[in-house]
Amino acid sequence: MTSSNVISFKSVDKFFYLHHQKTLKEFVQAMFMRQKTLEHVKALEDVSFSIAPGESVGIIGRNGAGKSTLLKLIAGVSQPSKGQVVVEGRVSPLIELGAGFHPELTGRENVFLNGVIMGLSEEYIKEKFDEIVGFSEIHDYIDTPVKYYSSGMYMRLAFSVAVYVDPQVLLIDEIFSVGDAGFQSKCMKKMNDFKKKGVTIIFISHSTPQVQAFCDRVLYLEGGKLAFDGPTEEGIALYLKQL
Amino acid sequence: MFKYWDLVKHLTLREIKARYKQSFLGLFWVILNPFFQMLILSFVFSNIMRFPDLGVPYPVFLYAGLLPWIYFNTALGASTDVLINNSPLIKKIYFPREILVLSSLLAKTFDFFLSSILFIALLLFFKITFTWYMLMFIPIFMIQFIFTYGLGLLLSSLNLFYRDVQFLFNLILTMWFYLTPVLYATEFFPQEYRWIFKINPMSVFINAYRQVLLGGSMPNWGSLFIGAAISVFLFTASYMLFKRLEGAFADVA
Repeated sequence: MTSSNVISFKSVDKFFYLHHQKTLKEFVQAMFMRQKTLEHVKALEDVSFSIAPGESVGIIGRNGAGKSTLLKLIAGVSQPSKGQVVVEGRVSPLIELGAGFHPELTGRENVFLNGVIMGLSEEYIKEKFDEIVGFSEIHDYIDTPVKYYSSGMYMRLAFSVAVYVDPQVLLIDEIFSVGDAGFQSKCMKKMNDFKKKGVTIIFISHSTPQVQAFCDRVLYLEGGKLAFDGPTEEGIALYLKQL
Repeated sequence: MFKYWDLVKHLTLREIKARYKQSFLGLFWVILNPFFQMLILSFVFSNIMRFPDLGVPYPVFLYAGLLPWIYFNTALGASTDVLINNSPLIKKIYFPREILVLSSLLAKTFDFFLSSILFIALLLFFKITFTWYMLMFIPIFMIQFIFTYGLGLLLSSLNLFYRDVQFLFNLILTMWFYLTPVLYATEFFPQEYRWIFKINPMSVFINAYRQVLLGGSMPNWGSLFIGAAISVFLFTASYMLFKRLEGAFADVA
């Protein structure tokens, strides 16, 4: 493992405990019913790989293969049960955008809220505010509570904040499924700009054409194990064969 | 922590703004709610069940204890829920999680100071003499803040794992309320049980507030010191536990 990697996983395991009863009543019930009170679930098993700066890596695999768990480990919100995860540089997750949005607050207030959650300073957001709103194309509604936004507008605003984060490692989880074609291509263009700037991009998508168009390399996960790590074409072919 | 100041600020503003955006009276509820509670309780305890002379009119006496108690109660309620309510954030992006607890506490602190405006009006109305001792209110509040923050960290993290915590704690709060001299004065309590007030920080704080705001003198330093020591100890222990559990928050949220 060399220090020139931004992300390296070394035999990483991740377990979860399912049926973790949320109340005492459920727990007692489960005891009487002789149900399992704890179930050991392996989300990732012996996963090792490393990613160099500037690489664009797609992560593919079926639902429940461990893609999101992998992303959580990279984002640093979850810890590995075994093994080692090393991430260097500022990681910006673009996972299911708008997590920090509050429906009662206006677009303007949410831009600031989302920005500071992403790690931007208030001053920087103030400076970039017009650009952010410009990118989102929702000038007229910026002072309207976001609960009145269409889902497309919502996503556009969230994405616009996210692209101004200036990340070193960008995590993208199924975000291009929303928004109209025009905005989608605008996002794709922005992603390509990032790629040119040498930003490391981790891309999760069910849309194999998007992965194909964008990534040089894929990690194919199957049942929590890394089934393939290599050129995009080959990985996707393998994935499609298993479907 | 300074690095996250903007985040603390905007999360606090979110709490404050979002809560009142949809109500017509908005922030006035923060002032009116404790005030009406005070009126009701004052009516009961000065007309139906009478307390002996307290040195100051009962409404002022009551309000000086009721406001810090309501703050304590609502702040803990908010921080118990805060990690659950923010689970989408917890699952997606890393920042120190105690910021969520701190922001919910700061939002309630804002409410507390806002609702204290009517307390000042009440002091004027009952012609209570203003003294410099009243400024001691600020350090006492800071100790109460540390105590509440410590308890908030503890409850919020445990509640994420088992939701029983919130129900159990609500029960404890009810009991705690009656074991704290909010409605009554310490002197009305049977002598042999008064030691409870010494080890109950909330009672220490409320007695101290009354001393400096209404009694026109310094607080009981001995009691306040015990209260401060318990607060600092609780905060330190809770913070350490919170940080140990933090890594698993995203897995259970």
